[in-house]
Amino acid sequence: MTSRVFARRPSSPVVAPNSSITLSLAIRTEHLTKIYAQRLVAVNDLNLEVPSGSIFGLLGPNGAGKTSTLRLLLGLHRPSAGRAEVFGRPCGVNRVSVRRLIGYLPTNPKLPGHMRPLEYLDLLGKLYGLPSQIRKPRLASLVRAVGLLGATGQPIRTFSTGMTTRLGIAASLIGDPPLLIWDEPTAGLDPSARRFTLDLIRELGRTRTIVVSTHILSDIDQVCSDVGVMHEGRMIFSGSMREMKRRLTQNVFRLDLDGAADDRDAFVTKVNALVGVSASVSPSGFVMVQVADGLSHSAMLSEILSLVDTTNICLQNVHSGQNETEDVYLQLLHEDEAHGFQRFTLDAGGGDDAVHRDSLA
Amino acid sequence: MMPFTAILWHDLSMLSRSWLVRLWLAGTALLAAFQLLANWERFQTAPLIAILLLPYLIFPWSLVVMMLSVTPMSGAQGGFIADGILSRPVTRYAYLLAAWTARVILVQTVFLIVTVPAIAIAALAERPPEADPVTLYGVAASLLVVMLVLTFLVSVGFLLGTTFRNTLLALVVLVFIWFPVNAVLNTFSLEEFSPISLTQALPTLLRQPWQEKEAAEPAPELDTAFQDAIAFFGALGGSQPASPEQNQGFFEQGDYEDFSLGRVLLGYGIPALVSVLLASIIFNLRDL
Repeated sequence: MTSRVFARRPSSPVVAPNSSITLSLAIRTEHLTKIYAQRLVAVNDLNLEVPSGSIFGLLGPNGAGKTSTLRLLLGLHRPSAGRAEVFGRPCGVNRVSVRRLIGYLPTNPKLPGHMRPLEYLDLLGKLYGLPSQIRKPRLASLVRAVGLLGATGQPIRTFSTGMTTRLGIAASLIGDPPLLIWDEPTAGLDPSARRFTLDLIRELGRTRTIVVSTHILSDIDQVCSDVGVMHEGRMIFSGSMREMKRRLTQNVFRLDLDGAADDRDAFVTKVNALVGVSASVSPSGFVMVQVADGLSHSAMLSEILSLVDTTNICLQNVHSGQNETEDVYLQLLHEDEAHGFQRFTLDAGGGDDAVHRDSLA
Repeated sequence: MMPFTAILWHDLSMLSRSWLVRLWLAGTALLAAFQLLANWERFQTAPLIAILLLPYLIFPWSLVVMMLSVTPMSGAQGGFIADGILSRPVTRYAYLLAAWTARVILVQTVFLIVTVPAIAIAALAERPPEADPVTLYGVAASLLVVMLVLTFLVSVGFLLGTTFRNTLLALVVLVFIWFPVNAVLNTFSLEEFSPISLTQALPTLLRQPWQEKEAAEPAPELDTAFQDAIAFFGALGGSQPASPEQNQGFFEQGDYEDFSLGRVLLGYGIPALVSVLLASIIFNLRDL
């Protein structure tokens, strides 16, 4: 039932104006910049490309400019410089044709508290210009699909955060848009509501392009095929999840050991005696082992693990630093902060390649 | 057109459910009833109708209209406008025009619902004061004047609500523009447009026939009690009524025969339109 409700109709392909071909890019920005009141740089020379049909995770710490970017795409904010396109159509304040292609879910959506869910969705359906014979069945299906059928008699002001988000999700789907932009859809949700939302993103991602803005890395890990990392208004990385994880080439392993502190210290001493390996105990009690460049990880790990058997401690887990989204993300942020001035000089040399060079840095 | 009508009906429904509008409707009905009863034997028809219209032009209902007009673009409403409406396929012009139209319709509806029956009672009932030559044209023109002033207030409130994001600040600025407006207009010799002057001129307008040649008898001079009533409502609103003794320009004809409906329509209509135009420009340039 759910799949049927969320499946887009094949009769609504997204095509570029004056073109008969389906576009490969859902979103494209060029040098997009937003400076508020000549004081705050929210979006800084942003070049972003979101492939059509992808589930794109827009990552970044609070204040990175994610929401500002999304609001620029929607025409709620005016860009200070640069341009943005959605399915080849330029974005702007009064670009109704662009907003018709977008289903927007804001962070903690502010909905009219006096209305009831069906009234609210009916209003939005009218804003999309949907005739009654399409609007009414669709809103009924959506309310059911997001699990609010039992709450249709309640005013929205009585809704919990989870219910409000579900209604916001239904609202973003009322126009059956090919692009969904969801800003922190799991913010403030309990585990079951969060699970529901992530499952829904996966489900919807089969037929639509979805941009999910968040700073919750596990959400990105679970649902996204592509990712962009923003920091201080800039896109510091953009690519597939696999590419992002490949960036982290740490030679550090974490060993979870069970045993007395003395035995653990003795083990660390033995490991340090190996050539090209250094070990230490982290404040949280894990043994961190670093293997020198050029040495085989598997061979060294084998030797280290054989040392475990010679002690009275028990190995519980071996944890590789690779493939951890959080580590990659933090590394990207750290690199971006460290290369601030270098980035400026690169930009001055030629703006077009700046993001690419950044991502290679 | 569907988005425009959807926003219009949504706003009308939201406004009609608000406590401010409900209290206003009850208050205006009560005040009109009180004014009718208190002046039943005192005034002729024209001054009595003018007294009924007075609170909308001066105080307190003009203040309620101001409160209604500044809210749609400012304060907590901003979040819903951006996230709920303007992130959908709606132009800012369509939203602004729909929200403005909703407020104009609501204000006019409340005004007409109360005043039309009250005027009908005042005009048609047999009362002790001698018969007054109030014309249908005069009543319609008087209602039109007040409706135009209310539309002007809504439009200026809209402009200020769009300019200032803070509702209270917009309201305070509007109050400081509207209530001293008599003195300001007097300074520029435009006192015929001031709300107090309009009120004073209403009895003359109410007695005016459709065509001048049909005028049968000269209008009687304004009653002292009627002048006192204007002074009372003016004082409540902080306004100083311009007296004929102080200014000989507009008031040298005590019967207000030189009152021009056309000038008043232009005097309030053009600034109202300009306000809506400016509001739409400012709203279009604003980040939401």
